[in-house]
Amino acid sequence: MDINGLKLFRILVAKSIIEVFFVGALAVGFVLSTFPPYFHGWGEATPQGIEGWVVNYWAPWDRVEVQLFIDGHFTATGMANLSRPDVVAAGWAKDQWHGYAFVLPKLPPGNHEARVYAIHESANGNRQSLQLVGNPIRFAVDQNGKLTIWTIHLLVRTN
Amino acid sequence: MEPKLENDNAVALIDRSLAFWEIVSVMTSCLIAEWVVFSIGRANPWALAVPVGLAFGFMFMSHRLRAESAREIGLRFDNFIAAARLLILPMCAAAVVLVIIGYATGSLSFRRWTGSQSILGLPALGVLWALMQQYALQAFINRRAQVVWGPGLRSVLFVASMFAVLHLPNPLLTGVTFAGGLLWAAVYQRAPNILALALSHSLMTWVLISTVPEASLNNLRVGFKYFG
Repeated sequence: MDINGLKLFRILVAKSIIEVFFVGALAVGFVLSTFPPYFHGWGEATPQGIEGWVVNYWAPWDRVEVQLFIDGHFTATGMANLSRPDVVAAGWAKDQWHGYAFVLPKLPPGNHEARVYAIHESANGNRQSLQLVGNPIRFAVDQNGKLTIWTIHLLVRTN
Repeated sequence: MEPKLENDNAVALIDRSLAFWEIVSVMTSCLIAEWVVFSIGRANPWALAVPVGLAFGFMFMSHRLRAESAREIGLRFDNFIAAARLLILPMCAAAVVLVIIGYATGSLSFRRWTGSQSILGLPALGVLWALMQQYALQAFINRRAQVVWGPGLRSVLFVASMFAVLHLPNPLLTGVTFAGGLLWAAVYQRAPNILALALSHSLMTWVLISTVPEASLNNLRVGFKYFG
């Protein structure tokens, strides 16, 4: 390989490395902007429906829009702006207005699973992503259409 | 003599390998721009400049290191008529076929380009855009393909295939760019003139968007943009 061939080889290697870093940076930027790691919250089944709270740590004074999915199907959308003084007392939020509550639609008897997602917009509103808030909530509905099992969440900070 | 022959063969093999890698490198930049930037990087308007800048910067450096002059790569006027002569007949034949298709489908409209539905809505930018494409395709990829396989059918087929790949997943554009790529690559190997090819490219693009049903062109979108 002559001197120019060697130069060409080095330029090709450098260009490849730059492109790998460029694509990697784009990928990391995409994940961080689309699925930012700063949503935190919790949900539970109560006799009234699905209730919980969610906080955006990047903007702790903002209210987060949430969507409820039951058994994998979209059920309702709402804003987490209800009073939850217990969340502030436990140190999870800076103000109390981060609660949400969904009244359940009529569901067939049996076991069900609810998932609450925080909605996040990115790319100047062109992209929306859903991030699961807390864990999936399992509950059962009896023959009369009432929730028969629900869990009580203890607000104990673990981290 | 034998050791020198072996040495010559090794040099030729290294040169061919490097040329092939050069093609892969430029294709990679184009595909990053089409598929990665438009899918996950479009929030940053400067993101497109990185792969485009790298590709063109690399091509210019490669020309310099291989001591290729502007005249050699086809940026010249002396063979413009020769290239145009080779192009005119196939272009007329393709245009007639496209006009018949447009007439049959009721989508014939030679003023559709004024609708500014894309960059090709402006003829000057259309020629400039075609010049950029033909420069990369012929002055670089075609020349390097000739280093790998020599002039002829194999390198012409390869260039046309690369041009078609860059227009995926738009099925109509992939097909017509393969056909156009065959013509332009073959003409470049006989009369290397980028300006004639760019004029042919922009003219045929105008005929294509004036004749083929708009829905089948999907606004000439390629790469990730094709989907939305």
